[in-house]
Amino acid sequence: MTKKLVQGNEAVFKGAVKAGATFFAGYPISPSSEILAQASVHAASHPEFRFLQEEDEIASVNAILGGSLAGAKSFTATSGPGFSLMQEAVGYGHKVGIPCVIVNVMRVGPGTGMPTMPGQGDLNQTRYGSTGDYTSIVFYPSTVAECYEYTIHAFNAAEESRSPVILLSDAFLGHLNEVADLDEIDVPVVARTLEPLAKGSTRLFSGVATYPDGEPATADSDEFIRQYYESRDQRQAVAEKYAFYEHGWNKDAETLVIAFGITPRVARPLAPYFALFRPIRIWPTLDKELAEIAPRYKKIIVIEGSDGQYANVVERMLLRRVERVPLLGGRMSIEAITLGLDHIGMLPAGFAVDKTSPVKVG
Amino acid sequence: MAVKDKLKTDLFPTIWCPGCGIGLIMQQLASVMDDLGLDKTNTVLITGIGCTGRMGAYMNFESVYTLHGRTLPVAEAIKMVRPELNVIVVSGDGDTASIGGNHLLHSIRRNSNITVICNNNEIYGLTGGQAGPTTPKGTTTISSPAGTTYSPVNLQGIVASNPNSFYAKTTVYHQGPMKKAIKEAIQWPGFAFVDVASQCIENNGRRIGFASANDMLQNYRTEYKAAPPGSKHLERHQLGIVKGEPLPVGASAKNGNGSGE
Repeated sequence: MTKKLVQGNEAVFKGAVKAGATFFAGYPISPSSEILAQASVHAASHPEFRFLQEEDEIASVNAILGGSLAGAKSFTATSGPGFSLMQEAVGYGHKVGIPCVIVNVMRVGPGTGMPTMPGQGDLNQTRYGSTGDYTSIVFYPSTVAECYEYTIHAFNAAEESRSPVILLSDAFLGHLNEVADLDEIDVPVVARTLEPLAKGSTRLFSGVATYPDGEPATADSDEFIRQYYESRDQRQAVAEKYAFYEHGWNKDAETLVIAFGITPRVARPLAPYFALFRPIRIWPTLDKELAEIAPRYKKIIVIEGSDGQYANVVERMLLRRVERVPLLGGRMSIEAITLGLDHIGMLPAGFAVDKTSPVKVG
Repeated sequence: MAVKDKLKTDLFPTIWCPGCGIGLIMQQLASVMDDLGLDKTNTVLITGIGCTGRMGAYMNFESVYTLHGRTLPVAEAIKMVRPELNVIVVSGDGDTASIGGNHLLHSIRRNSNITVICNNNEIYGLTGGQAGPTTPKGTTTISSPAGTTYSPVNLQGIVASNPNSFYAKTTVYHQGPMKKAIKEAIQWPGFAFVDVASQCIENNGRRIGFASANDMLQNYRTEYKAAPPGSKHLERHQLGIVKGEPLPVGASAKNGNGSGE
């Protein structure tokens, strides 16, 4: 019942604790490091909460897999480059079926890129980063309060789906301070679904294709296909319970803007002129939900901090062409958005852009 | 209880080649587990990729067959979350010293209270016999046709970089010393590493001139000698245990950055 000034990264950490997390392993990386720092401070006064600063992100993600198997709701936080290092283990977690949460506070890539600038270029990485086929569940909040709320949902979905669930954020949102009353956010917490290690079973947790008794099934295509569809269908069914999105702004407008994370807030001055579809569950995509909404609009514009990662997805979902405003190089500003809209001839009357502006847009 | 209760004998025969040394390690590990009262409620096995990694599947314990090189982060996290468990890592030299080398440095630095049994066959066996981090200089392998260029990694030196750690060198021929080393390693309060020389006849031994697995075992018999009592450092082909200053139990499992200090 107390309103407080809370930072996005801080809200993620508080959400994790609320969800019952008792193990964090991580490696410092901007712009996610506040989550690691929060975890270390929390551990100092909460002996039931275990904290390990690792030697790298590969150790971090493998540690949370181990911590989860041992019985603790476990999580790590990183940014794009660190998330790249974690990819092999993400696939392992999907194969073995280990609930855990990976927070990716996005910056501008590729490579070391722009460590303190906001980007949204990790969408494909959260879906296709690891080897093989698997079903990712990914959420991307938009406010500090939502950082708290959807972190809890991420832990819940991880338990239900028995897989690593990704919570996306960005440098803008992670470092944003907003007044929020987190105590008012009430998300029921899902209990652990995986029997902790050494309670009497003799299970083999293996990334290798195996039969239920642990024998290798490395040349049995039928068994592989059976297991693959079983886990895909199970995770897809879980994801359906978490079909979060927002349909708002001026719903009667002719054009639908699709944007997510911090971007719709940056684009807020455009609210009278456009409808907004804001996916919160980024993966699996909200095909059914968008298919209901999209036909009402003559045009669709995807405004995002990458060169079309989500626009490509929307075209695939709807089988229709969409307009694009890519916000590149960390330039996630209303100035860049209006310039981008002008560039594609979609700038609402009443908005003027400075044609002589040196600002480059994608 | 008996030794055989530690094993899933219904899954035998194992996938290991005839003459492989890994089964000799599993046998002694099972024997030690029986002696120490280790069972599925107080002990977990963490194994890495490579032939050695299959050991977890054949033992009557909860077992995590990790990604290649990632035994130690998984094991250390399990020990941190469940300090009451015995956490035993069994993995090969390639998994431990090459792809997992960075984790080895840091698990040792943190004095994580886990036991590592390293099946050291000086080769990448499962992938067909490529040179590995422990392959002796000059060895002909399928990835070093003119002989390996570099000296092997100094496992003893890496382990000894933490003054509170435990290092043992043994061979699969020397069953008594191997059992003693494994037992003391599990009982050691802190990071313990058992470096077990073990033959790979199929993908190494024959290429370097051994006619049979028995020839390799006989080579261990003649080449390896017990280190003098009280040795603080083992020379090449010396059997023995080098112990640092033991830290109180639990010191390595406390919160913070995992430091044992």
